[in-house]
Amino acid sequence: MALSGMRGLSVFISDIRNCPNKEQERLRVDKELGNIRTRFKNEKGLSPYEKKKYVWKMLYIYMLGYDVDFGHMEAVSLISAPKYPEKQVGYIVTSCLLNENHDFLRLAINTVRNDIIGRNETFQCLALTMVGNIGGREFAESLAPDVQKLIISSSCRPLVRKKAALCLLRLYRKNPDVVNVDGWADRMAQLLDERDLGVLTSSMSLLVALVSNNHEAYWSCLPKCDVPQEYTYYGIPSPWLQVKTMRALQYFPTVEDPNTRRSLFEVLQRILMGTDVVKNVNKNNASHAVLFEALALVMHLDAEKEMMSQCIALLGKFIAVREPNIRYLGLENMTRMLMVTDVHDIIKRHQAQIITSLKDPDISIRRRALDLLYGMCDVSNAKDIVEELLQYLSTADFAMREELSLKAAILAEKFAPDLSWYVDVILQLIDKAGDFVSDDIWFRVVQFVTNNEDLQPYAAAKAREYLDKPAIHETMVKVSAYLLGEYSHLLARRPGCSPKEIFSIIHEKLPTVSMSTVAILLSTYAKILMHTQPADPELQNQIWAIFNKYESCIEVEIQQRAVEYFALSRKGAALMDILAEMPKFPERQSSLIKKAEDVEVDTAEQSAIKLRAQQQQTSTALVVADQSSANGTSPVNQLGLVKVPSMSSSVIYSSKWDFDQSRSSTSTSSPSPSPDLLGDLLGPLAIEGPPVAGESEQNVVSGLEGVAAVDAAAIVPVTVQTNAVEPIGNIAERFHALCLKDSGVLYEDPYVQIGIKAEWRGHHGRLVLFLGNKNTSPLFSVQALILPPSHLKMELSLVPETIPPRAQVQCPLEVMNLRPSRDVAVLDFSYKFNTNMVNVKLRLPAVLNKFLQPITVSAEEFFPQWRSLSGPPLKLQEVVRGVRPMPLLEMANLFNSCHLIVCPGLDPNPNNLVASTTFYSESTRAMLCLTRIETDPADRTQLRMTVASGDPTLTFELKEFIKEQLVSIPIAPRPPAPVPPTPSVAQPVPPAAPSNDPGAMLAGLL
Amino acid sequence: MIKSVMVMNTQGKPRLAKFYDFQPVEKQQELIRSVFGVLCGRADNVSNFVEADSIFGPGTRLVYKHFATLYFVFIFDSSENELAMLDLIQVFVETLDKCFKNVCELDIVYNYSKLHTILDEIIFGGQVLETSSIEVIKAVEEISKLESASNAIALVSKSVSGWRSR
Repeated sequence: MALSGMRGLSVFISDIRNCPNKEQERLRVDKELGNIRTRFKNEKGLSPYEKKKYVWKMLYIYMLGYDVDFGHMEAVSLISAPKYPEKQVGYIVTSCLLNENHDFLRLAINTVRNDIIGRNETFQCLALTMVGNIGGREFAESLAPDVQKLIISSSCRPLVRKKAALCLLRLYRKNPDVVNVDGWADRMAQLLDERDLGVLTSSMSLLVALVSNNHEAYWSCLPKCDVPQEYTYYGIPSPWLQVKTMRALQYFPTVEDPNTRRSLFEVLQRILMGTDVVKNVNKNNASHAVLFEALALVMHLDAEKEMMSQCIALLGKFIAVREPNIRYLGLENMTRMLMVTDVHDIIKRHQAQIITSLKDPDISIRRRALDLLYGMCDVSNAKDIVEELLQYLSTADFAMREELSLKAAILAEKFAPDLSWYVDVILQLIDKAGDFVSDDIWFRVVQFVTNNEDLQPYAAAKAREYLDKPAIHETMVKVSAYLLGEYSHLLARRPGCSPKEIFSIIHEKLPTVSMSTVAILLSTYAKILMHTQPADPELQNQIWAIFNKYESCIEVEIQQRAVEYFALSRKGAALMDILAEMPKFPERQSSLIKKAEDVEVDTAEQSAIKLRAQQQQTSTALVVADQSSANGTSPVNQLGLVKVPSMSSSVIYSSKWDFDQSRSSTSTSSPSPSPDLLGDLLGPLAIEGPPVAGESEQNVVSGLEGVAAVDAAAIVPVTVQTNAVEPIGNIAERFHALCLKDSGVLYEDPYVQIGIKAEWRGHHGRLVLFLGNKNTSPLFSVQALILPPSHLKMELSLVPETIPPRAQVQCPLEVMNLRPSRDVAVLDFSYKFNTNMVNVKLRLPAVLNKFLQPITVSAEEFFPQWRSLSGPPLKLQEVVRGVRPMPLLEMANLFNSCHLIVCPGLDPNPNNLVASTTFYSESTRAMLCLTRIETDPADRTQLRMTVASGDPTLTFELKEFIKEQLVSIPIAPRPPAPVPPTPSVAQPVPPAAPSNDPGAMLAGLL
Repeated sequence: MIKSVMVMNTQGKPRLAKFYDFQPVEKQQELIRSVFGVLCGRADNVSNFVEADSIFGPGTRLVYKHFATLYFVFIFDSSENELAMLDLIQVFVETLDKCFKNVCELDIVYNYSKLHTILDEIIFGGQVLETSSIEVIKAVEEISKLESASNAIALVSKSVSGWRSR
């Protein structure tokens, strides 16, 4: 075949290939770029062939990773060239080098349109290809009707029509309105009658995109989903089209009509049973592509249990075959199946094979096997699975160890048949993979041991055993020192467990550990000393000497501990009270499990890396956050022993707590902490070491702040109040966080979790609600109503009445913004669990700033605009007082996170900020908004704000919105307590001033 | 939707990189490097799937095929079927094979522009356009003809005008 040979290009490529190193390559590239640049400057002398050659060279250079920042104009201008080769290069290079928002593209719209409506089919193809690759909103608005005409035109060749179909798909993604044309659905149905395979394939892709958004309009297309036999690929008729067709069917709701259903199942049955693993790899791939899509469709159609078990039998066969791709997909689909239906029991039959897959040579397959094991684990097989994971841990590759140990820890906690086993597992985990065990994991084991007296001697004995090992991980030193400090006296009669022996074996480790561990060791010594009654003078002297030594430690924390322990331990009997055993922890949801679930909202497949990132983000706030949730959630029967951790979701109040609860919710203004509450607050601190006076005081203060915030939130109507089920975490905080980001958890309680993922485009928004059932039994009577404010048009898709156990359903919610307003939409959500009816009203984060799109303006654009909007009502100014003081940089970040983009350098005064944005609503369309903030460096609590836009309501609403942001910042990372250190810890802290109180602000908002 | 198509050799040198959602050039290189980092450690008899969440964000999948000195890599989201994507790589490679008669790395290096033309006839804006390599070759041949025809015309007209002025 004739190749479009370009000698210059080949020479250049072989020059590059001959470069011995990167440096030489860069020199050669720079030389070439310089050459092209000068040639482009005197364009007249360039022949079409040369232009084409240079532009290809640019593209090659671009692929090698060099930025090509010139010649864009040349590339775009080639589009309007009359001859094919130039035009072709123009189109191809434009679509590779430019992105959809590039200004040059606007210049080309007319030319592109002329090519599309022109008679030259080759030009049409080129134009369609470029629009299909980089066409943006403006293209969608001006080209869609022409593209639609091409698709259904009978005079066009299939080559053009198939491109037009996919081009329309791109335009539809950019602006969904392009298919809101009368009769488009019927034409779509006609398109599916098409016999040309290429056109049919493209149309099917278009259909998939359309129905995935709105299936209602396209019912008429449903019966047309069949596949012609003309083209076969390795003997299978158009496998690709078969797959797409079945994918399209999955976007329609489950077919109800019994006849259609029967014939559909017949086809599926034939696919499922008629596919065998053969020798030819490509044939295998093709036939199994169809098969796995059929499986997905079966799952979607909610087939009878019998068919499901057939499917699982098939998957069971797959996970044992030689072909690795099929093994991989077999495991993946089993995991998927677990999520949709209740097939635990059938899948368990394949447990042995799945465990074998954990040793597969392919890490992709091992990962899938781990996911599946994690998903299928329950009380009955937890022991086997977790022990298998532990065993695998020592040989697993590093890339997987973290995920493995996290999953093992979670499973051990969730499904432990008895607690001593749980302790064994975690200690083994620390022993084998200490580096991969986060602090949360060992904190959790300490909590369990503290709350279960039966477990204490066992745990202490185990910890003692591990200390005998020659080299142990630092985390193991921490946990065993902590456990022995608390409970070694319970072992005193056993050999090797006298206080002296315990002390010396722990002390051996001291030279090898880091400062944070030394702090724990010091506490342990103090505790050992306290438990040694009558006092052993020799031991006492030894320990005192150590305290003495650390009194001059460079680390303040350790210095303080040493000083205080030394002073305390000289007081004799008083020591008993202060260093007494830690009280029980209030029952709370495992932070591990919580994090794992948070991640599941975003994606079913959680990778350890993401978990880790999240842990790092929250770990600083861990103590405080836990406290507020300890009060916000129902503390489960605090006095009883918690035997089975998974019971923690049941809500049982001890009478005393009932009392506390009612009291604190009636007298919200001054929550007076009971001694127990104090204990709770101190409790978690103890994990890091026993309470040290200074430190604990501060923490108690901030802890109480948290309590105050939670209580204050409880008076707001839009929260749970009468429900027996208490939410986990602060609803208001979650809402505020979601106002600034687009995905996260909106609400969570022991049974249900509602996650949100949102996309915003102009005045349209699409939110997806992820309703997740956290339990092993279904949720009934699920109802979600949207109460939209008058300025939003909202449409929620059907919410299923029942959510199956451990399943998550997605409910898309379409939002349209009609005009500027700060009113907030509310989701009225209710469900029934056992006999409890739970109802919550939640604010939805479809707030003003979601309809802002950042735009940077230059000084030339800014000032004329600013001047032309001259005073009220279009330009409003206000002096705002009571602003939360923050550095200018932080304020700039806050603005940016609200999509108001700060334009540096526009205002010569460094204390001022200028920001711009575009607001989208139906009434205002896209409207530029400008803001200027003048701060006073002497008094950061006040500032002057000026807001301007072309619409009076918008100006006002935006001004108020910004004010709200500045006056009270959502308390996600809690600012350091502004309360001066209180002399007495027990003194209740008055709730913060109304302007800073999120609850009050909330009430004002509604 | 297909997010990206990459062809790179077993040393990690990119031979073709096409991104269907725009990525700045540094990001492109970073992605190519991380993909290569994962692929080069994989043995031959393992599956064609690789977890790509950490490289491309949650929900993305990566399918690759290894031929002689080249990796062909497709990256796509959950709306596509993995094995179907593998088939598509096969279609792409078979088409190249037919165009270049036993394709090898050098063909691909020196016929960079041709490669783009072929790919554009198979994938369009991240969607599958054509799955039959016969159809693809037909379209590509048509384009080649056009290219050489208009070059010839350019030559002819030049010489004619030269003749006239003489």
